[in-house]
Amino acid sequence: MGQVDIWTEKYRPTKFEEVVGQQEIVKRVKSLVQAMNIPHFLFSGPAGIGKSTLALIIVKELFNDAWRENYLELNASDERGIDVVRQKVKDFARTKALENVPFKVIFLDEADALTREAQQALRRTMENYTNTCRFILSCNYSSAIIDPIQSRCVVFRFKLLEKKDISEVVKRIADKENLKLSPDSFDAIYEASEGDCRRAINLLQATASIALDINSEMINMIAASNKPAGIKVVLDYALAGDFVNARDKLLDVMLKESVSGTDVIKEIQKEIWNLQIEPEIKVKLTEKTGEIEFRMTEGSDEFVQLQSLLASFVLAGQGKAT
Amino acid sequence: MHKNLAEKYRIKNYTDLIGQEKAVLDIKSFLKEFPKKRGLIIHGPAGTGKTSLALAAAQENDYDVLELNASDLRNRVKLEEVLKPATLQKSLFKKGKILLMDEVDGVTGADMGGIPELIKILENTRYPILMTCNDVWQTKLSSLRQKCKLVEMKALPVPYVLEIVKRVASKECIKRDDNFLNKIAIKSQGDIRAALNDLQSYHLVDSLVDTNEKRDVEENIFNILKRIFKERQDFLNIFDTTKMSLDEILLWIEENIPKEYKDKTLAAAYHALGNADVFRGRIYKNQYWRFLVYQNIFQSAGISYAKSSSLAGFTRYEPPKRILKIWLNNQKMEKKKTIAKKYARLVHCSVKRIMRDFNALKPIIKKPIVQEQLDLSEEEIDFLNKH
Repeated sequence: MGQVDIWTEKYRPTKFEEVVGQQEIVKRVKSLVQAMNIPHFLFSGPAGIGKSTLALIIVKELFNDAWRENYLELNASDERGIDVVRQKVKDFARTKALENVPFKVIFLDEADALTREAQQALRRTMENYTNTCRFILSCNYSSAIIDPIQSRCVVFRFKLLEKKDISEVVKRIADKENLKLSPDSFDAIYEASEGDCRRAINLLQATASIALDINSEMINMIAASNKPAGIKVVLDYALAGDFVNARDKLLDVMLKESVSGTDVIKEIQKEIWNLQIEPEIKVKLTEKTGEIEFRMTEGSDEFVQLQSLLASFVLAGQGKAT
Repeated sequence: MHKNLAEKYRIKNYTDLIGQEKAVLDIKSFLKEFPKKRGLIIHGPAGTGKTSLALAAAQENDYDVLELNASDLRNRVKLEEVLKPATLQKSLFKKGKILLMDEVDGVTGADMGGIPELIKILENTRYPILMTCNDVWQTKLSSLRQKCKLVEMKALPVPYVLEIVKRVASKECIKRDDNFLNKIAIKSQGDIRAALNDLQSYHLVDSLVDTNEKRDVEENIFNILKRIFKERQDFLNIFDTTKMSLDEILLWIEENIPKEYKDKTLAAAYHALGNADVFRGRIYKNQYWRFLVYQNIFQSAGISYAKSSSLAGFTRYEPPKRILKIWLNNQKMEKKKTIAKKYARLVHCSVKRIMRDFNALKPIIKKPIVQEQLDLSEEEIDFLNKH
């Protein structure tokens, strides 16, 4: 396959030395890989800081050109249930590893998307194939992974990337792609990325598709247009007393941007503190928001619950608490 | 004649199944290809001939039928005890057999291990397992759905029902005029069993069929909404008068609250509805049906007492639009999803995340060279350009 023109791929580090911001982890992983034997790994940390990248580097180092045959990448949040995961692992683990390494590597991304029961099943699968396979799990929070799995893995907590790390990556790509970036665009990219390197690179590429001479204004403009519009608008309608428009808009946002109810509630929870209402009411609204989020995790209907929350915002708009 | 007509005239072969030719073809190919798929779900509204289709299939192939009612086999243990052995033992008298599980929606979800066990049994069964259910698209059946072939039975158009009713009437020597039979057919709304039951019960009593009774379901919900929204009462039994499920009523209330209530009343009503929904969720999660009481009270009295005094005037209530909107949107988003899938494969990322960041990625995906590398279809490119 030729070079992909998606920069997150094109410029994905392929050697340990190219990884930014995770020196400690890289050093330890590298020494394990060089001994041609690795334990199971658990990589934890937020999105876009190099977890998948490091997994890919590991297999490329271990298997060289044969890495594709000896590497299985699964995403827990996409696979439908643990049974699919197990079946795929089974099929993959059945054959022996090629090359000189006695095991294959399975990368299970977003492992925290698995329920506790599914993780128990996964743990058995890990045990069954431990002779032929090594697992690398990745997750956002290691606390969401059950102890028995954690104790079978070497756990690495990835650090959030700092501004200098993101800027280094951006600079590297800009040079290769002949882009001219004004100094303040580095700040703008870092701000918008919130430390997520994938997001930073995507933003850079999206901006570069308009111009090769880039300044912070253009970046901010692109970043703003990317933001899922709406939650603010929804709340504005509600605060102005227009419940019907608020809920229509809410459904619109949820459907068109494919955002889940829990994503909406997170957004609302943050937004409350930017609103022009009495602080006491903000506290009350937060209480209600928390309750609604809890109900969603319990299996309530997201939209019914969110409407109930919007109704509270209507009252808040009139200076009343529920 | 004390036999139920619907049972007595249950069809016995494919040719008698009027108006369901597609379903017949589907089931034929399923049995021919077995064990490519080991399970078949026949789904559709009540009285369209789901069970009949399965029985006809057995008859035509000279198979034994083992009928199991899914509501007796709710949990894992029961399924393992009863169904599993049956899937492995040979038929005594005939050359093969099929297992028929009626009302598979009655098997409970992951909590009781019913569905997962059923799927396990499906993987190993030596004989075809046919299942029937009304709504195959409910989420708890999603994993089962993937393992099975689906056959849809549509509600029969009135002329077909009329033909069946006429045929049965003449065999039973029921002499009624066409007008009477026609009314029965219309009233049935495609439900043959209902039509035959009506034929049986009404032709004796000399009363005319009240063709409006069925449509009453809708009229009824409008009345119920009117009473709940306008009056202040306990209303503990108000939903007994309708056949509509509590969950569906909940959607109707959800849609129409803002038409009646404002501000404080609005908030109080949604608070009550939210509580009703919490108990609805708990019923499904724990399979604890007593919670229905609470759902019932919150969405009746809870809504009614949200206001401090009764309301006057006429309000035009509307049927719930949300489900339709979601469905339409899913149709539209299908292309977005296939693009996201192709993209995700290249960038070591979940499809979910790509869907979420789709807007940010669009300028990148739109580049002709990337489109080519992703191997996008014309429809997908079309979608990109339009949205």
